[in-house]
Amino acid sequence: MTVALGQQLTIRSMIYVAAEPVPYFWPMRSFIHHNPLHGLEGLSFEQAVEKGAKLFHGQGYLPRDAYQQYLRDGRVDQERLGLEIERFLAQGTDIAGLDLRSVLMTLLTELDTPVMLPTSLASDADIQAALQARAIKDETIPSVMPETGTTEHLRNTLLGERPVYESVDALYGTDIGANLDELVIKSCLDFFDEGQSVWRMPNRECGFFAAWREVARRNVRLFLRGLHINDILSVDETPEGIIDYVMRTLQIPEEQWVGYFTRELARLHGWTGFIRWRATAKHYHWSNQYPGDLVDYMAVRLTLALALLSRSGRKRSMRTAETISNLIDTRPEEAYLRYELYSGAVLPAFAHRIETALLRGRDSAIEQVYADYIGQKRQHEARRQGERLRDLMVRTGSGETIDQLSLVDFAGVLTILRKFEKQEGMIWLRTMESHAMQHLLQNVTMTPDAIREKRPFAQALFCIDTRSERIRRQLEGIGDYQTFGIAGFFGVPVSFMELGKGSETHLCPVILTPKNVVLEMAMHGNQEQVALGALDKALHALKESVLTPFFTVEAIGLLFGLDMVGKTVAPRAYNHWRHRLHEQKPVTRMLLDKLTRKQADSIVRAVQRAVIVKALELELGQATENLNDELIRDLRESAMGHDESYLLYTTELGVSADKLTKFIERLRDGYRINPAFAQLQMEQLGRIGFTLDEQVRFVGTALRSIGLTDGFSRFVLLVGHGSSSENNPYESALDCGACGGNHGLVSARVLAQMANKPDVRHRLNDSGFQIPDDVCFVPALHNTTTDEISLYDLDLMPSSHLVYLDRLRKGLTAASRLCAQERLPTLRETQGEQGEPAAAQRFMDRNSLDWSQVRPEWGLSGNAYFVIGNRALTRQAKLNGRAFLHSYDYRLDKKGRLLENILTGPLVVGQWINMEHYFSTVDNERFGSGSKVYHNVAGRFGVMTGNLSDLRTGLPAQTVHERGAPYHQPLRLITVIEAPFKHACRAVEAVVSVKYLVRNGWIRLLVIDPESKSVFIYEDGDWHEQSLAREIISAYPKESIAS
Amino acid sequence: MSYVMLAVGGLFLPLFPLSMLFNLLYARLRNPVLRATVLLAWPQIGLTIIFASGITVPGWLHTWAVLTSLLYGLRALVLREVSLWTSFVGTSAWALLWILYGNGASPVQMQLFSLGISAPLVMMAFLIAGLERRFGAAYLGLYGGLAHSLPRFTGVLVIVVLAVIATPMFPTFFAMLSMIIKSLPTTPVVAVGIGIVWLLWSWAGARLLQGLITGPQQLAVADLGQANTWLYVVVLAGLMLSGVYWMGTLP
Repeated sequence: MTVALGQQLTIRSMIYVAAEPVPYFWPMRSFIHHNPLHGLEGLSFEQAVEKGAKLFHGQGYLPRDAYQQYLRDGRVDQERLGLEIERFLAQGTDIAGLDLRSVLMTLLTELDTPVMLPTSLASDADIQAALQARAIKDETIPSVMPETGTTEHLRNTLLGERPVYESVDALYGTDIGANLDELVIKSCLDFFDEGQSVWRMPNRECGFFAAWREVARRNVRLFLRGLHINDILSVDETPEGIIDYVMRTLQIPEEQWVGYFTRELARLHGWTGFIRWRATAKHYHWSNQYPGDLVDYMAVRLTLALALLSRSGRKRSMRTAETISNLIDTRPEEAYLRYELYSGAVLPAFAHRIETALLRGRDSAIEQVYADYIGQKRQHEARRQGERLRDLMVRTGSGETIDQLSLVDFAGVLTILRKFEKQEGMIWLRTMESHAMQHLLQNVTMTPDAIREKRPFAQALFCIDTRSERIRRQLEGIGDYQTFGIAGFFGVPVSFMELGKGSETHLCPVILTPKNVVLEMAMHGNQEQVALGALDKALHALKESVLTPFFTVEAIGLLFGLDMVGKTVAPRAYNHWRHRLHEQKPVTRMLLDKLTRKQADSIVRAVQRAVIVKALELELGQATENLNDELIRDLRESAMGHDESYLLYTTELGVSADKLTKFIERLRDGYRINPAFAQLQMEQLGRIGFTLDEQVRFVGTALRSIGLTDGFSRFVLLVGHGSSSENNPYESALDCGACGGNHGLVSARVLAQMANKPDVRHRLNDSGFQIPDDVCFVPALHNTTTDEISLYDLDLMPSSHLVYLDRLRKGLTAASRLCAQERLPTLRETQGEQGEPAAAQRFMDRNSLDWSQVRPEWGLSGNAYFVIGNRALTRQAKLNGRAFLHSYDYRLDKKGRLLENILTGPLVVGQWINMEHYFSTVDNERFGSGSKVYHNVAGRFGVMTGNLSDLRTGLPAQTVHERGAPYHQPLRLITVIEAPFKHACRAVEAVVSVKYLVRNGWIRLLVIDPESKSVFIYEDGDWHEQSLAREIISAYPKESIAS
Repeated sequence: MSYVMLAVGGLFLPLFPLSMLFNLLYARLRNPVLRATVLLAWPQIGLTIIFASGITVPGWLHTWAVLTSLLYGLRALVLREVSLWTSFVGTSAWALLWILYGNGASPVQMQLFSLGISAPLVMMAFLIAGLERRFGAAYLGLYGGLAHSLPRFTGVLVIVVLAVIATPMFPTFFAMLSMIIKSLPTTPVVAVGIGIVWLLWSWAGARLLQGLITGPQQLAVADLGQANTWLYVVVLAGLMLSGVYWMGTLP
């Protein structure tokens, strides 16, 4: 069977659409913070959370007791909570005699679990009867449920877009879904492996489905498990054909396919996100080598699902949506009881009786159990709900009032409570955000910096990362330092090819694609490999082999033991000693300048000549000393098709004309000495470096965007950041997000090298900058784990600056130590103890080298604010590493283009980071990645919990939780723009993605207008203005402005 | 007469199909004290009867006993109702007493072994009553996460289950070891059968614990009181200490 092309395309489109809600997942090597609900950002935050909960089975808000703890800690304002309750009550009607405000406040602040329980059978009247149970008997509660209700309930629950095997599992207690996930994960691990496995899946270059198909057809284990894969795979060779066949066999109506696919994809959303990203990553080596997409994945998944269902169906004849539908229609009582029992909703006291009745299968017995059960369950629900309600009412002193309410009013109360508890998460969240906004606004300073009489000793450009806030504050506090915040890639998107590496790394936010390649070149040529490095590689080879581990342990196991003892007992001393044994990276420079066509052509020719010399040696056995330049040139020309002069060299080379002709053909085809490949090489060389115009533009934009056009100091430090930790798959999550999850040093070196060029400086000064000749841009790296700042490329520094270097270093060291001291209480068990600065830094250093440390640093945990404005605005505010700070001076940005750039890149990345932390905190199991303790690296690109699980996509518990409670306070990113209101609005409106993030409530936006001294807050689809006077901030909204 | 006595013995040291009577009776009992009494007394009655009658156990009965034990071990593996799980594991264990009897164990030793097997089952019966009181039933897979919600209860439950499934230092362990050692020279097949039964108990025990204590916490309920916890701890410690005695009885 072959599916028509049209149908194939339809299926591809359906899967594309179905996968939209599942966000990309990047490999762990360059961890990219992302919003787990990114695919739902078109909806409002509240709607997306609701939909995300259904799709991914994750919670969108913290449990109530966690918010209550914030209330006790003073991070939620009770008065503001009251305002939120009043705002909620204003939407509905009053209940006479009942103080609903007090009831709802009690509910929020005194009860730690929901009052309203899910009820499937009990009506409001039943609950009222149960509430009054002291006066009336249980028999007053009717014990029969309308039959139509059962059928309808079951159809809605078990049919539609729900995968058939999930319904079979829910009806028969089977584990088809779990088995399927396990088989799919194994298949994915086999195919997508990136070098972790020693024995690799064959034929991977043919694509995921094709390679898997070949293996699966001969997989004895699947056959022994009773899975007749061949019957399905023989139907069609294409993944689309298999998908079509399976969906029709399962009798799923075509209009439900998209929803069905979404449910299938969401089950293992980590794998789905990874494959989805991988299929679009054109520069990704593994993707180019071994292609695979979600259509392949779906075909694999559905094939296994059908095989498992068929195996299960052989016992139960339940393998299609139609058979499930028939069961519901013809035997609703049985279906209901089955669902109750195996979905875990059954009343425990009935579980054994129901199980026995179902096993015996007698209709009369099932009907009797059903009748008894629904009566009991109805009473149980009503009674339980009544108890919860009474508890609430008694606490508020309304116990008698609720008893006296009419049924209509009573139902009204229940409706209000249900609606309120549904909106509760948003109420807490808004209240908490309001408090956080108030805190920020109370601490900002509207007074601009006074004009300086002399230039500062040094200026430092730090990444906007929240961790920079602390070190900036400390550095400014210890001396004459001026700091700025800029995205860590310094506005230069670079595709970097590191020395000794064969692939490119994108150093920019993932929403950008760099056009320019930068090569790292060694200053002193290739160095000999140090013996220890070779030994290290040999040990790895022994460990990874199939057979060698059996004797390696006996032979050299002791060495590993010593290593283990060293790392465990004295991590700091031992690791420093080990690092000294390893070879040091040589001094390097960046190849930054664009090659001319002539230079590029010369490089291509040189490479071709080297290849021809090697080919002559390998193919014709010619020694290098026998070859002269003229011969090589003529052979090259012949291979390139420019002439036939190669025939002149038959005698010189001692080969026949025929053999030489074949050699030339081999050069063209095998060694790729041909015009097409030469053209490709020219194009690739054309990507290397930046033109002078580009360099001027990048440096100028970077400096202008932070408001630095004059008043330059002698040193301008460009401080990238990175982290260092041991035994940590999430290390790159601690690196620079603006550099695509990599260290920021390369970007700093690139910009410094550009900015120090005399040509660039002249052009900048011509365009309005005032950069004195003695200004030296110095790249540096801020190690966020230890807070150490290291200076780089000092050999390029003018000698006139060296006398100041000691002062600079001392200043940086002091700031590092003070910063470590400030962070110490958050990382040490004995909280509150600060210790000496030097001791604090030693502790941080040890943390970064300790392989048992699950939390080397808190990373971006705690992030809450994104401030775009002058440093003077926040200099006095101690923001405790909670704010992304982007320097910006609206006065230098008349058209708002610079602000638009900040919103487009840094703010969006900040929002991803914020949402990643938010959702990892509120539901660490579903949206985060659970405890690190159980993590295992999978395929060298991800982590799994245990030996087999979905790829864990979010942040581990140790990053956002502390002792089981949230450490990160989950807030939406509170973004502050310091600019005139209209200027800021214009920029926000111009960046479509940000406009919708703001309108849909994914970002909380505030504009501080320095000219009118007003604050504008966007809330409920409208701007609200208020004065910056502190006492009225808590009472906003005051005044609304039509947007 | 001897067959009649064998049948009566087979009722109290349950052999299939007579074992069904015990399990039927046990399933109908709801009171934990009654359950505990039955668990303690039932095998003792059987032992009293067979020692009083002095019947000789035919060779095939050893195989029958092992098959009965295997059957109930297997049934315990798939059960979700914990109360029945207890009676099935009890049945599976008591059936094996026939092998000890056949190998010439003394009445006192047999009675002590039987007591050692019954004691953790009795504790299980009380723990099950606790679960029924808290959740309405003792049933696997309905409410997980007891480790979070009832840490003390869970601790006791885990150790009691370990005692039931004959882990080292509990009397059941030495009873099983003694049976295997005694059977191995004469009837190695029976010894292997006992080993498989042992394996099934371990599997069933692990499954039981997995169905109750793991997973997220679902319901907030009161934990086992401190006094009761200590009581369990003392009894369990006593059982473990008695292991010193049992060690000395090994052939």
